[in-house]
Amino acid sequence: MDILKVDNFSLAFKREKSWHTVLHNVTFALKKGETLGIVGESGSGKSVMALSIMKLLSATQSRVNEGNIHYFDTESSREISILPLKEKELRKIRGRKIAMIFQEPMTSLNPSLKCGYQIVEQLRLHTSLSKKEAYKKTIELFKEVLLPRPEKIFQAYPFELSGGQKQRVMIALAMSCNPDILIADEPTTALDVTVQKGILELIKKLQSKYQMSVIFITHDLGVVVDIADTMLVLYQGKIVEYGDAENIFENPKHPYTQGLLACTPSLEYRLRKLPTVSDFIQNEHIVKQEETREEWIRSLIISSEERENHHLQLYSREPILKIENLSKIYPLRKEKLFSKRQYLTALNNVSIEVYEGETLGLVGESGCGKTTLGRSIIRLIEPSKGNIIYKGKEITSLSSKELRKVRKEVQIILQDPYSSLNQRITVGEALIEPMRVHNLFRNDKERKKRSIELLERVSLNESHFYRYPHEFSGGQRQRIAIARALTLNPKFIICDESVSALDVSVQAQVLNLLNELKREFQLTYIFISHDLSVVKFMSDRMAVMKDGEIVELNEADKLYKNPQSQYTQQLIEAIPRKRI
Amino acid sequence: MYFCTVLDLTMLLFILKRILYGFLLMLGVITLVFFLFTVLPSDPARMIMGQRTDIATEEAIRKEMGLDLPIGVQYLAYLNDLSPISWHKTKDKDSFFYLNPSNYHYISFLSFENSSIVLKKPFMRRSYQSKRQVIDILSEAFPKTALLAVVSIFFAIIVGITIGVLCAVFKGSWFDKIALFFSVLGMSVPSFFAAILFAWVFAFLLADVTGLSMFGSLYSVDNYGSGQFLDLRNLILPAITLGIRPLALVVELTKNSVLDVLSQDYIRTARAKGLPYRRILVKHTLKNALNPVVTAISGWLASLLAGAVFVEYIFDWKGMGVVIVDALDKYDFPVVMGALLYVSIILVIINIIVDITYGWLDPQVKFTS
Repeated sequence: MDILKVDNFSLAFKREKSWHTVLHNVTFALKKGETLGIVGESGSGKSVMALSIMKLLSATQSRVNEGNIHYFDTESSREISILPLKEKELRKIRGRKIAMIFQEPMTSLNPSLKCGYQIVEQLRLHTSLSKKEAYKKTIELFKEVLLPRPEKIFQAYPFELSGGQKQRVMIALAMSCNPDILIADEPTTALDVTVQKGILELIKKLQSKYQMSVIFITHDLGVVVDIADTMLVLYQGKIVEYGDAENIFENPKHPYTQGLLACTPSLEYRLRKLPTVSDFIQNEHIVKQEETREEWIRSLIISSEERENHHLQLYSREPILKIENLSKIYPLRKEKLFSKRQYLTALNNVSIEVYEGETLGLVGESGCGKTTLGRSIIRLIEPSKGNIIYKGKEITSLSSKELRKVRKEVQIILQDPYSSLNQRITVGEALIEPMRVHNLFRNDKERKKRSIELLERVSLNESHFYRYPHEFSGGQRQRIAIARALTLNPKFIICDESVSALDVSVQAQVLNLLNELKREFQLTYIFISHDLSVVKFMSDRMAVMKDGEIVELNEADKLYKNPQSQYTQQLIEAIPRKRI
Repeated sequence: MYFCTVLDLTMLLFILKRILYGFLLMLGVITLVFFLFTVLPSDPARMIMGQRTDIATEEAIRKEMGLDLPIGVQYLAYLNDLSPISWHKTKDKDSFFYLNPSNYHYISFLSFENSSIVLKKPFMRRSYQSKRQVIDILSEAFPKTALLAVVSIFFAIIVGITIGVLCAVFKGSWFDKIALFFSVLGMSVPSFFAAILFAWVFAFLLADVTGLSMFGSLYSVDNYGSGQFLDLRNLILPAITLGIRPLALVVELTKNSVLDVLSQDYIRTARAKGLPYRRILVKHTLKNALNPVVTAISGWLASLLAGAVFVEYIFDWKGMGVVIVDALDKYDFPVVMGALLYVSIILVIINIIVDITYGWLDPQVKFTS
């Protein structure tokens, strides 16, 4: 029995007074107790689809061109057409029949209301429970979503909880009225892998216990196969593939799906270069024929002998950077006047060496100290104790003048391409400024010439020189950040979660670019990320960090195949559906 | 997790630091005011004498006011007079530092042979005109100004938030547009002009309807000789006039803040829960939206106190404004200086309180200097 039917649904958004169609004739059905995964990159229309089902889009900014959405109400055994419903009737469905979980647990709960109240409110709205009963029910729900100390969470404000806990509160909220349909819009994207695993398991458990239908939206194909029965792939607002999830994952028919699968770094083999979606399909034109594709990918594989030879060469030299017993301790705020001051150890006696020309991967979950380590190297964060020796020079005791010389050689590329570029200055200015500060080239004309060369190197062009950051997409901004790091001819680049904010196919492009640049300019990288598969693809050696310590360090492939520490094993296990 | 019920060390240090800065600031203000009025090219002694011209009287006045002393000594004496703890001579009646019981309300706690250290009410000198102690004149006028400022800020808050929320809810409607027009007008109209306009329209043209008078203070005297009585009607026009600018700001601030909150993810969550719009607005939007508004307003209260001068003068509301303008008119420097210091110290105190309240209200605000 179909509990939800979307027929031929087309939707347009208003952008600067004209209407742009963002969903084209989308048709699908959801059975009772079924989990449907909707997959696509940002801008594919997947979230818009979800919001349309509950009619949560702004009525002035969006317009339904054609189509219908039908919901089958099990209580009254009636089919309800959602689109013509008035607000008042919709409110009886929202939260009670169809509930939703959103991507950002940080911002999806009201910051000024207690967690418990936010659920009691919904219960009291849709059911006839008294205040006391609603409290009891909320505590039960918190227990069901495995929150520790439910009574305490009830009284807590959202900012007092961790991201994973907040998402559990959101799930408890969505589950509170036993909805028929649960829509989860990228519920785990903002979370660490191990936390993600817990949340996915929880959704699965609740789904089978209450025989709910679930629509699970994500950009991560691996997550979908783990959780969904059927899968729907959206590309530029159109369904390109729809069917059994396992089947699509194993035998993707459409080049877009194939591209998506290929551009996530594989854990099993190592490629010279990641395929990107544009290698498969460009504006709906198929680029490579299906037969040649597999062969092409096979030709990209690096053999283990090749890699071993390369490593022999790499590690015969002296390390370029030596970190010895590095620690960083932050004093915490005192809770009370006479309580003892507490300290947070962000880095605890970390020792590591980096060899010239290698890529050292640093992987770990948020709060493990990987960013602190990266920033300490060029003293953007002052380490508390320990030594950092770069090319024989002790960095921790350098004067600010000498430190500037080191910073010229050691550059950093940050995570968020939106906030790491100054919105008020043009791309050109951003590129010229570091050269001016370090007195590179004789005048701005030469600097400009160099900037344009670099922009072209990262696949942008001269016209981009005069534009402001807000005119660029996330991937383009990250390219600009890379070009900026290259302006000073660095020898050593620290990539701090440089691709984490990007879509998979854009991520593949940026990773390829980083590798090309490394070869071209003979760079050395420290590559920091929470995503084990990305780090493994990039690195020669890989270090796993936890609680400010390095728990394991080994050649990347060996570390993955033969993890020694329990924590590394946990991390690897938490990766959704290890890629083929 | 933060629980700020117990005053922690950082907070205590923060408060002490703020108070210390407050003192330094006051010292700076006193110094500035003192030298500003001492170097002015007018002679206070002559001012006091008025029409009389004999040298002997002028010399006597000079001596009495300490104008014959070196400027450094005058400055020290001024500081000494203002400080709540001060040093005075007890025997030498001719000295400028003589502890004259008619000038000082004091408790002496350290006596020497012919001087003593006392704890006293700050002495801001006497008015040239009325010979009354300046501090008494100001203490009488200040509560009226404070009342005016508080009433107008409440007027601005209540009316402003209501209009602001309505503007946000009906964004783009005629109501929103008219409100925007008036708030731009309200922000740009100078207060003296608004005051005259309001007095003319509501207390002259429409006087029969409104029953308000163009001038009047907190207390009025009626025609039947029954003495002073409290006349709150006289508060209405000055309070509204003074409140116009903050009102306009509150409207715009509230509107933007509410619109901002309405676009937040948690409002989408609230809608997805099936809550009615009114409840989303009251329970989920207002509390978050009003935080920045209230924060901004508490900062304005201080500047309103000072900004009341014109409005008070035009409506003849006998507060600080009238005192200051009158004193300026008559070159009554001790009153002007005293008023400046009085207002500054109140601003400093309000700012300290506001800073502490922020930290207390929002435990995520860190106490750093």
